[in-house]
Amino acid sequence: MSGDVLRILAEARPAELHPDAQVDGAIREAELARAMAAGSGPERERGRGAVQERRRFRPVWGLSLAGAATAAAVAAAVVVAPGGGSEGAHPGSGTAAGGDQAGVTLNANTVLLAAADKAEGQPEQARAFWHHKTVIRQSFLVDAPSGPYTVIALSSEEEWVPGKPGGKQRVRQQDLGAKPARPADVAAWKRAGSPGTFKVRVPVSPKLKAVKTAEFKVAQGSPSLRNATVPADGKLYWLGRNVSMKQLRALPTDPARLKAELLRWYSGHDTESSSVPMKSDAWLVVVAGSLVNGSLPVTPGVRAGAFRMLAGLGSVRAIGKVRDAQGRSGTAIATTERTPNGVLEQRLIIDPATGNALAHETIVVKPAGVYAHLPAGALLGSAATIANDWTDSMPG
Amino acid sequence: MADQAPDEKRFTAIYDDCRQRVWAYAVSRAGRQVADEVVSETFAVAWRRRRDVPDPALPWLLGVARNVLRDDHKAETRRAAFTAELARWAPPPPGDVAEEVAERLAVLRAMAALPEGDREILILVAWQGLTPRQAARVVGCSPAALRVRLHRARRRLVRAAEGDPTNAVGPVAVGAVAPPPVRPQVGITSKEMS
Repeated sequence: MSGDVLRILAEARPAELHPDAQVDGAIREAELARAMAAGSGPERERGRGAVQERRRFRPVWGLSLAGAATAAAVAAAVVVAPGGGSEGAHPGSGTAAGGDQAGVTLNANTVLLAAADKAEGQPEQARAFWHHKTVIRQSFLVDAPSGPYTVIALSSEEEWVPGKPGGKQRVRQQDLGAKPARPADVAAWKRAGSPGTFKVRVPVSPKLKAVKTAEFKVAQGSPSLRNATVPADGKLYWLGRNVSMKQLRALPTDPARLKAELLRWYSGHDTESSSVPMKSDAWLVVVAGSLVNGSLPVTPGVRAGAFRMLAGLGSVRAIGKVRDAQGRSGTAIATTERTPNGVLEQRLIIDPATGNALAHETIVVKPAGVYAHLPAGALLGSAATIANDWTDSMPG
Repeated sequence: MADQAPDEKRFTAIYDDCRQRVWAYAVSRAGRQVADEVVSETFAVAWRRRRDVPDPALPWLLGVARNVLRDDHKAETRRAAFTAELARWAPPPPGDVAEEVAERLAVLRAMAALPEGDREILILVAWQGLTPRQAARVVGCSPAALRVRLHRARRRLVRAAEGDPTNAVGPVAVGAVAPPPVRPQVGITSKEMS
């Protein structure tokens, strides 16, 4: 060899690996959008090993807490969670914020307390793996030269998490394709030449006006199955702070004690203080939402306790009977919040028979800002729970 | 984007500086099929921890990418992927080629024969241009230990390249090391070598 082998190796570096090689503009936009959609505020993560510290959190009906995304749901699930007006395959949920059963006035507490009773009666046996599957719908605006239209992008996320410390967790994700949302959108899509790929504007958070771009396809993607390491401390869930499966399973079932325990995890808030800031209510609604929506492996007793705690908050309204984005019928409760993008309603749809939450959805009641193009009552997104159970095995 | 927040501006600048390098690292470690995913995950982590990202960001980012690869992709799959990439980068030479070209191809092919740890260090130093200190940071060892490992990796690379049937150039000593002594003898204690 006629020289230093490191020099020869450096010269042998394939051209495509050159640091100055051009990155495709669309890829750049998509990757930046995805990265920045994947987390809110900078999170100081303790310990070493960035990857082990990934937050696991499903944005419940509190999209308001933007940035609460699971690491796996990289694909901007954050953004506008709930959605889906009348996109093709599913019957669509109510189009008005009032639900579809006029004349029936339900008290939110009645709904919540009934759900608590049902939840409490559910049998549960923890097995080797906690298994959970969610279908996510997101509404996006496509800014075509021939006229803008709205598409709904579907994706699914499924995971298996070991019930005991250690081991691997497994995550399966799949893009299920994007479609024009309403008949008018179908027409506008056809005028645009029925493209198979959509470049969409993605609000950075439902509360902000900043927008990024991302790309979605009409065609369904192939599923990807990947391993993820369970952090050494086992803390793979987020309830205001990172918590482990063990901590989740040990939550108190009594609503008052549950509230106190959760508030202990409410950062920036002194639970010993007698003056509880109002803000904590909204926060509790979000956190309790993730306890009742079936995404976390909490015991039926804790779920019941969370429902009762919600009932005690008084900031939740009942909307009555609605269908979720999957077309399943349930009873909904809601909270409303004012944002620069209009008045948004967060709904939790509960199966009255079991006390399970079927889905959480976000609806724009009074569109403004980045949602100004949408009709009032349009669904921005939904996260529907398809399966949540314990199982003895996970896919190879 | 017109009025980006300072965080976004810095993050975008880091992305523009390093994205291709992170991608190149992922391709050279585990093949292009997984490279995009690794890049995506790496920058998602970087965004979440953007206040922790040092200057220069590259060694830190490569460390994150390395964890992503280690956690989510099997070693066996990584090796197969590298071999596949190699077939693309170093096709068998068509016949008579210049000595330089033959040498480069032989070295590339020799990379596939190395243990993954050797290959990684060579990639960090020769392809990513990291200093031993920076490379040590990526793989999580002391700079001294890295120098030792680099030395051994380089020696094994030479040996593998010389064994390449298409490399007609024949053996040449590299550095102070003559062909196959089992241990390097450049004043390294066995403790440092572990």
